[in-house]
Amino acid sequence: MKKILNILLKLVGKLIVIGFITFVATFALYMFNGENKLIYYVVRPLLNKHYDAQVRDRRIV
Amino acid sequence: MKDLKHLIYFENLLQDAHNELVSKAVEQGLHPLGYNCYYIPEVLLNLPGCFSSRLRAPRCNSTDVANYYMTTRNCPYVRAILERAIEGGYNYLEALFGAEGCAAMERMEEHFFLINPVKNEKFFTTIIDPPMKGDKTSLDYYKAQLKLKVLEPLRDRLGVDISDEAIRKAVEQSNEIYRIITEIGNFRKADNPVITGYEFHVIQLVSQVCPHSLIKPYLEETLEELRTRQPEPKFPFRARVALVGSEVDDPEFTKLIENCGAMVVADRYCFGSFPSREVIEIQEGESAFDAVCRHYLHWSQCARFMSGDKIEQRHKEVERLVKEFKADGVIYENMKFCEFWSYEKVLASHVFTNELNIPCCTIEKEYSLGAVGQLRTRFQAFIEALEIKNIQGGR
Amino acid sequence: MKITDKLISAIDKKLERFDPLWQAEHGVGGQRDRYYDKTGVAKWREWRGVKDTFYDYTQWLYNLYSMVLMVGSAPVACLKGFWEYRWMGSYLGTFMFIDRLFEGFRGYELRTAHMNMHAIVQSLTKKIALVLANDKRLGGGPLSDNMVPMDEVLPPLFMTGFKDLIPIPLQTLPEFIICDIDQHIEPYYIDVAESFGLPADVCSRCSAETGVAIDDAFPIIGKAFLTTNMPCNASEATSMFQRRRLGLPDMPVTMAMIHNEPGAHPYSTQVLRDAIAFIEKEYGVKYDWDALFERAKHMNEQNTIELEKWDIFKTPHSALCGIAETLYRLYSWASVNGQEDYFTENDRKVIKIMRKAYEERYRPFKGKTRHRAFLWGPSAVYYTDFPTWIQNCWGINIVLNMDSTMGHNMIDTEDPEKAIEDLALFSEKGVMRHHAVGGWENVNALWEWAKNFDCDMVIFNDNVACKGMNGVHALMEEQARDLGFHFIFLEHDLEDARTVSRRDMRKIVNNYMTVVLNEEPLDPTLVDFDDSLAF
Repeated sequence: MKKILNILLKLVGKLIVIGFITFVATFALYMFNGENKLIYYVVRPLLNKHYDAQVRDRRIV
Repeated sequence: MKDLKHLIYFENLLQDAHNELVSKAVEQGLHPLGYNCYYIPEVLLNLPGCFSSRLRAPRCNSTDVANYYMTTRNCPYVRAILERAIEGGYNYLEALFGAEGCAAMERMEEHFFLINPVKNEKFFTTIIDPPMKGDKTSLDYYKAQLKLKVLEPLRDRLGVDISDEAIRKAVEQSNEIYRIITEIGNFRKADNPVITGYEFHVIQLVSQVCPHSLIKPYLEETLEELRTRQPEPKFPFRARVALVGSEVDDPEFTKLIENCGAMVVADRYCFGSFPSREVIEIQEGESAFDAVCRHYLHWSQCARFMSGDKIEQRHKEVERLVKEFKADGVIYENMKFCEFWSYEKVLASHVFTNELNIPCCTIEKEYSLGAVGQLRTRFQAFIEALEIKNIQGGR
Repeated sequence: MKITDKLISAIDKKLERFDPLWQAEHGVGGQRDRYYDKTGVAKWREWRGVKDTFYDYTQWLYNLYSMVLMVGSAPVACLKGFWEYRWMGSYLGTFMFIDRLFEGFRGYELRTAHMNMHAIVQSLTKKIALVLANDKRLGGGPLSDNMVPMDEVLPPLFMTGFKDLIPIPLQTLPEFIICDIDQHIEPYYIDVAESFGLPADVCSRCSAETGVAIDDAFPIIGKAFLTTNMPCNASEATSMFQRRRLGLPDMPVTMAMIHNEPGAHPYSTQVLRDAIAFIEKEYGVKYDWDALFERAKHMNEQNTIELEKWDIFKTPHSALCGIAETLYRLYSWASVNGQEDYFTENDRKVIKIMRKAYEERYRPFKGKTRHRAFLWGPSAVYYTDFPTWIQNCWGINIVLNMDSTMGHNMIDTEDPEKAIEDLALFSEKGVMRHHAVGGWENVNALWEWAKNFDCDMVIFNDNVACKGMNGVHALMEEQARDLGFHFIFLEHDLEDARTVSRRDMRKIVNNYMTVVLNEEPLDPTLVDFDDSLAF
């Protein structure tokens, strides 16, 4: 019983730690606007390069 | 060619909306009824005791006051009409029958009851909501709108007879004008026509802005004259074109094209004869009013029609005119700021050039012909291209 | 006071100097200080105090979750979509978009704003996944032929009578809502249309739609297409290009333009009947009135709640403000239109908060509103956060937007004949349509609305390419003067930020507020700034 309790406590502890780390990481990402900086400065320029290189079937049908 | 006897008289009639014949008809006690758009059947405004007056704003130099009301970013035609109304140019009118043909047109027509520019105590305005398809539902709506906004006000406010008999009579009389104009227009089919596009444009316009009963004798005489008129020894133009698109009520525009070397052999635009001069046929068992509505909905070529059949009709009709009038190409024009024709021009240009193999030149124009240098250059280049194509045997 | 409240209060006090509202109030900065020049990229997110920042963070997570779900539900299709469609790339700007919208929001107004926004995000992400997973261009899916592409301004409620079909507002994904998110996307499509000869003076929304058609960038779905004449001339005209590009049997659902007359409704009713018959024929299905009634009940409830919201908007104590109200109403009415339960449930929750806030005589934006404005005419799609800016900068609360007044009549849920008549009236009063076109009385209704909502100011959206609204310029201005409203014509070009930039739009307001009203801004950092490179 005690063993199970220990395992459970450990699990809860781990979950709390993981939860806390996740919170700190996501909150930092949120607060410092990380995802938007990544999208604006890295992802979109790459995507735009791809879009600009596309050969579109551009015509009035 | 020898000058047409009445051409200068006709040209003078076009110098003012309130022209000599309009004055005469008003003096005779006829009801002067204004309209702008083909959606308002001209024939209904020519019921016994009435005459139609399609509104133009000739010699319009500035639209400053209309710009104040409607901004400079709106259709120059509607601004010119509003300006002329505010100047007092339509004070002879007893009514304006408007159509929500487009948003700009509707707004302009609304100003006729909002700021009362027409100083005539009898004057009133109604605006119909015209349909955008040619199906039965649309026809029923068109009938209901014309009844509610045209026929009933004519009866209730001006005491006009709107019976079937009266409409039949109006149809009959209008058809006489239409036959004359059509016959005159058909002279343009000849390899070396006895009429120029400019002359025809003038004739067509007077038939729209003057009381039918008063202009008819002049038209008949002109038709007789044309029957025996000798053409130039050799076709004096380098090419033949159909002029297609939105509003053109200034024959100087046709003259501009013809001065560049191409005869305008067909006129498929607002104020042109295609559509407007087709004979109205009343079928067996059909009321005259129903026939009028059916006729106008069928023949209307307005770019606001959205259904596939009507869109196709617009292009097929131009193709027919090009063939029948032996046009080498099409000049497709639209009034600046016109949403409908701006779009239609892009599509039609594609259809004519790529699907129907008809050379097409697209241009955008103002209402008043001011600086025409750029247009002239465009027309000259197009005509040259048509000429080269003709020399190369159509390749 | 509970210990946690005390603690939060102490932290808030300690960190208040990071709050842009506090900074502006104390003359040491403001909202714009957080941004890199031109880009619209914030160096850090807004510090709104512990509770509100944490709430904003949880909502950020919540929206992120919806996006993960979207990609997770159709990973291959979503990736293909990003690869194929330029407009899909713009959806990556969603988070930045949400941040822009709710800048300066605190307390109740932040909560209702996020609730409404999440309703849109969860709906839109599902719709994107659904469309891409069934887009024949990307390989198609089992529901490809059950979808009915229809013009986005045709209210889809009447289509719910086809319970096995899925109406998709075709232009919403590649054109309308994406322009809200990214001001640079539609100019690309506008340029495509103009390169084929379309003049630059036509309505840019329709020009963009035409560009999407010419660029072959509409998803390929369905077996037949419903177009419409709503809201205006250019919209009618652009459908010519779309129907050709889609190559599907089409039916223009042409509602009466002059719709405020009794004669118009029988016609519009018949047009809807024709549309139903067209879909029955093309899809081989039967219309089910009970299915319609079921969804109409939701729409009726949403509209009932909307009317209650309006009563609260008339007071200074509304917890739902500005763009949070406008954008939600636009999406929930025009795109969802009674089809999704989530919106009814959301409305129930939001109205509860609004009632509570009213009972508490809560004043949004910390009571800093100086003017109550009615926003009339179609708004600039590329400047969705304009109501937010104008509140934060000048204390002008956009109480209601013209488009929020869309069809709010109830639909009969028992008698099919009555229901279709109600639907016709409802559909005639659609987006950008109800008060913008179809007769003077519609546009002139502005003054009654502004008076009823206790507004002292009218901001009249002046879409430079809108011929209908241009046609009432002087009459509007003269009436504003006669009736004693502060009146600003706000020039914009609907979906083309190059013609009248966001900065130009702000300048118009700034000039009025400083020159005419001699007022000082609430936040000087917001008066003039460059966001030309922002999404």
